Amino acid sequence: MLAPSLKIIVAEDDEIQQLYLCALINGLGYESVPAEDGIAALDLVRQTDAQIVITGLQMPNLDGIGLTRQIRGLDLDHYVHVIMLTGTDDNEVRNEALLAGVDDFMTKGGSTAILKTRIRTATRLINHASELADRTRVLKAYNERIQEDLRAAAAAQRQLLPKLQDDIMGFRVASAFVPSAIVSGDMFGCFALSPDKLGFYAVDVSGHGVHASLLSVAIGHLVTPEYFCTKALHNNDAPDPAAMVAELNTRFSASENDDYFTMFCGVIDKVSGRLDYCQAGYPSPFYVNQSGIAEAIGDGGFPVGMISSASYENGVHQFDVDGTLIICSDAASEAENPKCQPFGNERLRTIAETSPRIGAQDIPNKIVHALTEWRSGQPLEDDLTIVAIERKNIE
Amino acid sequence: MIYTTEYSSEITIIRPGVERLTAVNAKAFKDEMTALIDDGSAHLIVDFKDVTFLDSSGLGALVGILKRVGNRGDLAVSGLRPDVEQMFRICRMDRVFTIYNDVETAAQTMSESL
Repeated sequence: MLAPSLKIIVAEDDEIQQLYLCALINGLGYESVPAEDGIAALDLVRQTDAQIVITGLQMPNLDGIGLTRQIRGLDLDHYVHVIMLTGTDDNEVRNEALLAGVDDFMTKGGSTAILKTRIRTATRLINHASELADRTRVLKAYNERIQEDLRAAAAAQRQLLPKLQDDIMGFRVASAFVPSAIVSGDMFGCFALSPDKLGFYAVDVSGHGVHASLLSVAIGHLVTPEYFCTKALHNNDAPDPAAMVAELNTRFSASENDDYFTMFCGVIDKVSGRLDYCQAGYPSPFYVNQSGIAEAIGDGGFPVGMISSASYENGVHQFDVDGTLIICSDAASEAENPKCQPFGNERLRTIAETSPRIGAQDIPNKIVHALTEWRSGQPLEDDLTIVAIERKNIE
Repeated sequence: MIYTTEYSSEITIIRPGVERLTAVNAKAFKDEMTALIDDGSAHLIVDFKDVTFLDSSGLGALVGILKRVGNRGDLAVSGLRPDVEQMFRICRMDRVFTIYNDVETAAQTMSESL
């Protein structure tokens, strides 16, 4: 279909030829815009939204090939279709013109029918390009909206994480939380349960990305200090983290899908230094004593939400003053370098053992940096969480 | 992706056909295994000899398959490499699956119990 308002620039120094072409073009229902040479035509291309240029080959100041080169060098948001009028079928000239970016040729003095066909071809291409541009614009806007939503979701998720700038009950707690995508399938919490007891947990939902993050955020909302207190402390204040994990397992085993999560949670008594913990498929954390010897805590346990009949056990470990517990999601040990070698537990242990020297607050970032280096700067493929808890002297 | 071998008329041996069973291919693995079970295979051995890495999604798929087999038969695993073995151990899957050192032992033991 002809678009009546389409502008066509006619660059031709021969006045009669120009008048003739303009009349033909106007007769076809387009709006012709005459230019006496290449420079004038280039100005019009810049100033109007014309998307078709019909140009002669030889013109003063700037010829047709020069004009085409200049048009191709412009930074326009639309394509300009260039048709060149030639007197001959000289292959060399045509080659040069094609290289310069000419789209089509027409012989001077050709029939109206040919002109009409050429313009119609150009119009079709222009319409096609503008449809594509529209579609790209829509997709881009849509993508931006998704990204914005995800960033908002990520901000909401970060809000759920504990603020760790201060010491909690004489414990120094530091963390790193690095989603592999914008949102994370990890979650952790650390809070006072009673005047003497600190509760903490780390969760890693199987898989990663948006799907896993929905569950991790749900867990973050569920496991509040109140929930933790009710489920993991008996009436006499005796810790039973396995009871809380069993409760979560019952709740999350109900669904039919394969979603599940691993968890490590515990209660630390600030007076005695007794750590009661439950490991549910989460990697064993390192306990580092004040001499810098690291020991892996726990020998495993069923993940949560995988097997409804699973039972969970409590473990106990002594947490001395100046000792540090370092919890890492499996993204750390499984991170592979460009040679596909995993970072592994031994490298993690080596960093963990520096804790008495550098302090727990620097451990999470040190591990993140080591992993970034290990992966030569490539982003991690799984969500990473590191939590370091150091028991300080109580005044 | 999976390769199956009939050990006997009742026992099917499956090799996952990937080096890494992860979030990337766990669903395809589960779907193919499910199709196999729905076709009537009930005594299955998944041989992990050629699998170097199994992530949480891979493990989730495997447990899903185990649930699918249910009481109709059994699902054993064999040939766990150290990293895969550690994943099984830390998640206590050694108490859920029967684990054999190699597929031959698995097949022989399974056929004797039938």
